[in-house]
Amino acid sequence: MIRILLSHQWKSFWRSRSAGKSLAMQILIGFFTIYLLVSAIGLGVFLQDLLKKIYPGQDIIKVFCGFILYYFLFDILIRFLLQDLPTLTIQPYLVQNIRRSQLIRFLNVRSLFTILNLLPLLLFTPFTIMSIGPVYGFPVAFAFVTSILAMTVFNHFLILYIKRKSIINSWWLVMFFVVMAVFIAADYFKFFSLSHISTIFFSFMLAHSWVCVLLVGMAILSFINNYSFLLKNLYLEDIVGKGRKKEGAEYAFLNRFGAIGELIGLDIKLILRNKRPRSIGILTVIFLFYGFIFYKPEFIAGEKWGFLLFGAVFITGLFIINYGQFLFAWQSAHFDGLMASNLAVKTYIKSKFVLFTAVCTVTLLLTSLYGLLTWKILVLQLAAYLYNVGIHTVITVYFATRSYKALDISRGSAFNYQGMGAEKWIYSIVVFLLPMAIYLPFSFINAWAGVIALGVLGLISFLLQDWWVDILTKEFFKRKYNILTGFREK
Amino acid sequence: MITVSNLAKAYAGKIVVDIASLQVNDGEIIGLVGNNGAGKTTFFRLLLDLIKADRGEIISKEKNVALSEDWKPYTAAYLDEGFLIDYLTPEEYFYFVGKLNNRSKADVDEFLKNFDTFFDGSVLKSGKYIRELSKGNQFKAGIAGCLLQNPEILLLDEPFANLDPTTQLRLIKMLKEMHARHRMTIFISSHDLNHVTDVSTRILLMEKGVIIKDLHTNQDTLKELEDYFKV
Repeated sequence: MIRILLSHQWKSFWRSRSAGKSLAMQILIGFFTIYLLVSAIGLGVFLQDLLKKIYPGQDIIKVFCGFILYYFLFDILIRFLLQDLPTLTIQPYLVQNIRRSQLIRFLNVRSLFTILNLLPLLLFTPFTIMSIGPVYGFPVAFAFVTSILAMTVFNHFLILYIKRKSIINSWWLVMFFVVMAVFIAADYFKFFSLSHISTIFFSFMLAHSWVCVLLVGMAILSFINNYSFLLKNLYLEDIVGKGRKKEGAEYAFLNRFGAIGELIGLDIKLILRNKRPRSIGILTVIFLFYGFIFYKPEFIAGEKWGFLLFGAVFITGLFIINYGQFLFAWQSAHFDGLMASNLAVKTYIKSKFVLFTAVCTVTLLLTSLYGLLTWKILVLQLAAYLYNVGIHTVITVYFATRSYKALDISRGSAFNYQGMGAEKWIYSIVVFLLPMAIYLPFSFINAWAGVIALGVLGLISFLLQDWWVDILTKEFFKRKYNILTGFREK
Repeated sequence: MITVSNLAKAYAGKIVVDIASLQVNDGEIIGLVGNNGAGKTTFFRLLLDLIKADRGEIISKEKNVALSEDWKPYTAAYLDEGFLIDYLTPEEYFYFVGKLNNRSKADVDEFLKNFDTFFDGSVLKSGKYIRELSKGNQFKAGIAGCLLQNPEILLLDEPFANLDPTTQLRLIKMLKEMHARHRMTIFISSHDLNHVTDVSTRILLMEKGVIIKDLHTNQDTLKELEDYFKV
């Protein structure tokens, strides 16, 4: 049965509208994947020499032991950002003669196929075999590989569980970040040392290889936890929140802006009333505190303005990145209606610019509190803000005209968690590289010249906004039917 | 009002719409009938420029619908739930549509009073988002959203299929009244031969994308259609 379901998945992947068209993109992603895997193996093989060089005179196996838990803490964070929930439109299968447990088993098996599960094995196995094996013997090396596998599985199902929980209740998202922050802070301020714990535990394992059973036990618990959660929640989740009386809302301040104001009101309601965009909204607010990570006193003292500038671009442009990555797709469910209604496409596109500009302005005002660290942050943020509203918005809308993947936001179901398209990757690469590309050449004169260049270019582009809107409207019409067809395909 | 010429659309080599020429005049009520796959919905989507025609064109008031947006102000359509914004309450949706068509809130409220019997108390002030309404009630909201725009051209895809019998009759009555008052041009697709011949002034019978019969409705039309669909 799982084989049949897997084959359906395979078909739905290859037969979806976006698959065939972006062959080049898939090759690119394949290339990145292979590069990543080869790097991991390379790093794994040379880890021995690397550790010897970095920690001369120390027992590198002990150093390695202290490193393992750190890796898996980091692994959890990465997984949270990158690991997709396995998608399967569950409804058609629920009424068929398939046992629930089979469906769940399928979802679990399907989820295991991710490169994130391969990485730790590739990274750690060579070292274990080459360094630990010869010294401590084969059983110990085997115990280490088992432990690494077990921790991978533990993280894997833990993240799936947390992600599913956070779809139902966004507070899980907040809790997750708080717990992670507390962990990292506690380690940073030396309340306890993760590295110390890691060293003790794995050194013990060197002598008593049976303790890997503990980790295997944890992995099994994590799996069972996820399994039983799915078993209870296999029903469609739109029951959540039903029965509560819904009130209409009106944003009087938007009335002045005519159709554009109306469209912005629509976007605000979309974010507030649908699970997936709501999580994005919460995330955006949480990330406002990223300033504490980016604007470190040592960076300010060390006058690393270039680095700080990218922090500023990120912080002031967060909403654009988060909401903009699915800009039109958020509305895919009623895109037909929007396009047939009495609404010029130009107005629609303009409304997105106004929305971005408004939210970025609010973000700039809120984050100007970071100016308390030094007034220079204010200048950086202003330049970053101008870049974001002037240039970043244009890129974002442009990429929106190229993405044809529908998004199901109304169900908010764990099984409708659509993933990232290839164009999203290109988008993130552009978003990260472009500010650097603008900053770098000018920074040879002086770091502030780079900052000013970014701000001025942003301002110029911002003043040309209406011109951009015209161009992007034309771009939209070039691919209007592709977008509509893609969005209709649920 | 609308001129279709040489229009064709195929999916994967199979022709779905193939209309050599069609002239629809101001104030006609066109009933589209035909079995599944006859191309009714695809034709509607072409009329609304939601899919790209392989060849041919649709001219609405002298303008090609695929090349200009000028048809949008006077055209309203409800094909499926994709035309509703499902996370709004029905009221919010009506105000939104009203706003796009320059109708104030008070104006919309006034207009909606005419729909009290049509809604039957289950659309307005229901305390639900549109996504929580039943399919029939969603359809009612969609139709009201269309009429709110005071359109010159109205497209409804199988409106009778999702409505209860009472509402079906109310809809027919309402459409006839609206038509008499505003001389709307209406396209209705339906499998309900009785209703569609009752409401339409002209019937287009489609088969595999082609209009095989173009009838002006009279007392024999229903009989003729029933003969065609006989098993």
